[in-house]
Amino acid sequence: MVLVDDDLLSELREATINGDSDRVEELSRKVIEAGIDPLEAVEKALVKGILELGDRWINGEAFISDLIAAADAMKVGLSILKNEIVKRGGAIKFRGRIVIGTVEGDIHDIGKSIVASLLEASGFEVIDLGVDVPPQRFVEAIREYTPDIVGMSTLLSTTMLKQKETIEMIKQAGLRDRVKIIIGGAPTTEEWAREIGADGWAPDGISAVELVKRLLNAK
Amino acid sequence: MLNEVAPLARPRIEVLDRDEIQEIHESSLNILSRVGVKVDHEEALKLLNSIGVDVDFNKRVARIPEHVVREALSRTPNFVRLYHRDGKQYIDLHEWNTYFVVGSAAYYYMDFRTNEVRRPVSRDLAEVAKVTDYLPNTHMVSTALVPADVPEIIADRWRMYVVIKNCSKPIDTGAFTLEGVPDAAKLMAAVVGEENVGRKPFMIFAACSSPPLKWSALTLQNLMDCARYGIPVHIIPMPQTGGTAPATIAGAITQANAEFLAGLVIAQFTRPGAPIVYSGSPTVFDQRFATSCTGYIEVGLISAATSQLAKFYRIPSGCYTMVSDSKTVDAQSSLETAFGALISVLAGINMAIGSGMLLEENCISLIKLAIDDDAAGSALRFARGIHVDAETIAEKVMEEVGPGGLFLKHKHTRSWWRREHFIPKLLDKRTTDMWKRGGSKDLNTVAREYVEKILREHSPEPLPPDVEKILNESMQMIARKYGVEKLPEV
Ligand code: B1M
Repeated sequence: MVLVDDDLLSELREATINGDSDRVEELSRKVIEAGIDPLEAVEKALVKGILELGDRWINGEAFISDLIAAADAMKVGLSILKNEIVKRGGAIKFRGRIVIGTVEGDIHDIGKSIVASLLEASGFEVIDLGVDVPPQRFVEAIREYTPDIVGMSTLLSTTMLKQKETIEMIKQAGLRDRVKIIIGGAPTTEEWAREIGADGWAPDGISAVELVKRLLNAK
Repeated sequence: MLNEVAPLARPRIEVLDRDEIQEIHESSLNILSRVGVKVDHEEALKLLNSIGVDVDFNKRVARIPEHVVREALSRTPNFVRLYHRDGKQYIDLHEWNTYFVVGSAAYYYMDFRTNEVRRPVSRDLAEVAKVTDYLPNTHMVSTALVPADVPEIIADRWRMYVVIKNCSKPIDTGAFTLEGVPDAAKLMAAVVGEENVGRKPFMIFAACSSPPLKWSALTLQNLMDCARYGIPVHIIPMPQTGGTAPATIAGAITQANAEFLAGLVIAQFTRPGAPIVYSGSPTVFDQRFATSCTGYIEVGLISAATSQLAKFYRIPSGCYTMVSDSKTVDAQSSLETAFGALISVLAGINMAIGSGMLLEENCISLIKLAIDDDAAGSALRFARGIHVDAETIAEKVMEEVGPGGLFLKHKHTRSWWRREHFIPKLLDKRTTDMWKRGGSKDLNTVAREYVEKILREHSPEPLPPDVEKILNESMQMIARKYGVEKLPEV
């Protein structure tokens, strides 16, 4: 049975929303076999699905674990469709690229990971450096990935200083004007962000996404 | 010798039966020996390796066999004695005793004068310590707030100093720096003498494992340092259901138990007999809002189970049972905490932690602390159960009063009423008219006035002048190491 384009795409969108990576993989291959424009599949199925679920989560109608599963499913689809897009001479247009991590000395993981997932669910490409990330690693990541934004999370009042240190090191490396820097985590404040010369601060995941959108639009 | 009178019949709850405890215990051992734990600390890895633990130095994973766990358990003392800073009074964390403990390390303070939630300064922490010193049912103070008027790098030790000066009760604390424990030991030595840091400890340190199945460099350093000094530690696994732990309650308990046992092994092989409390801060990770909630009733189930496991191992227990998710002091904050208090005493949790705390362990309110003290008192009364003997059954008294009489005048009433009841400090029991004439005040207002009165009238026992001098010097020395010359007045 051959599905018409729209059916296939809406199935792919559903599978993304359901966080069903296996099904997303299968359907993504079908998209290619069927000769559907892979870019259109990314936009109309994968991205649309994740944005829809993101909205549902904000309205309290979905669970964060659903959203994370959907973001993972989306990545599976992307990795398959990307090759085809490149083959056709195109490229996936993310809304921006973000490198994120929890600073050195701090292993609090969840807040940072939530922010990362929400950003992915909003159409951004996220490179997650993990936790306990030394300043030098952030510097290297800027060279390696040329992100638009670097995000640093911390939950300990003592390791807030590492955010400052990392910004200093990015400056010393001569990379400061290549990226916007945002910070977050429960002990941090807007004032602290200003004091250490970050470009923005967000109190929670949803506002972090808004902040990133604002910074990239302003660019 | 323990200062507890054996209870008669005592209300208790058990949330796991014997077989279930055994199953969880065995499953934790399986996890430790098969999956292992990540140990981000070179020295700890070497230590484990030297005692026959299978260590993968590249992955930093230690697979701990059962016999090592057994040996660690056999080295662990079955009670922990915490002194007041005078080195004389003490409490014993043991059996079914429950002591209520102020929540620790919040970076926000709910100012009772303005209701504003703001960054705390050292003076706020001094007030929390002072009020706790007075409260009858809050047995331990904590380094409750992280003051923002000192440089972050010394804040963990500075708050110990502030609390030592303003409260005589045992202190629940923790370090967020590698140097934290040795410096804290200096502060303790200043107060009780170097020889008594481990012999008469008046501080207990928090050491959290990092779920899932991991121990961080920082907390292991703190844990091992404490073991060496003989300073008590409460090991706090913190499963977040569906976040850093399975969504199932049994899974969260089992994972936490494996993490606890791994920490225990490291502590007991660092120094046999290290005083350890099996503590916990379970949270429900709310899938709707991505929040780490302490006030869900399931947190009570996990806490009660933690206590049962601790009793199974004959180790003292603790749990964060007194923290509410409410954003303000209101009905929610009171009811969540009251459930917690009752569960704590019924489950025999030795340290019921979190009095005064709100906002995912991020905020301290003195109004809540005062109300929680009544919740604690009520719960402790409940746990004492019903005193039954010929005098309390009062058959003779009923005979004397006779059908249709009144007990008001009987001397049995005067001698027993007080003994039988917990008289709350704040909860209102007056007539409606008296309440109206008293200004129709709600509980928050009553609590605020109570706090104001304590701060006005109570002064904690001061430190002897020579002790205070040494303590001040020790603190200044620590500060100077970091180039900090000026410290706030407290
Ligand atoms: C880049 O841009 C951005 C923008 C927005 C950003 C952002 C980045 N990052 C975060 N955000 C924002 O958006 C997120 C989503 O909405 C939000 O992220 P959050 O992380 O705030 O929210 C999460 C979704 C849920 N929140 C959380 O997961 C954190 C909850 C609390 C209770 C907490 C937890 C769970 C843990 N802890 Co820790 N822990 C506490 C926390 C108290 C609290 N409420 O903050 C806090 C932070 N811990 C504390 C402490 C002391 C410690 N902890 C420790 C360990 C742990 C656990 C490992 C047990 C566990 C983390 C598990 C894990 N794998 O992540 C130890 C540190 C170890 C280390 N080296 O880091 C240890 C030192 C305890 C010890 N002595 O062992 C306290 C800090 C005190 C201070 N002044 O620094 C603490 C406030 C609790 C307390 N009152 O004691 C926003 O902040």
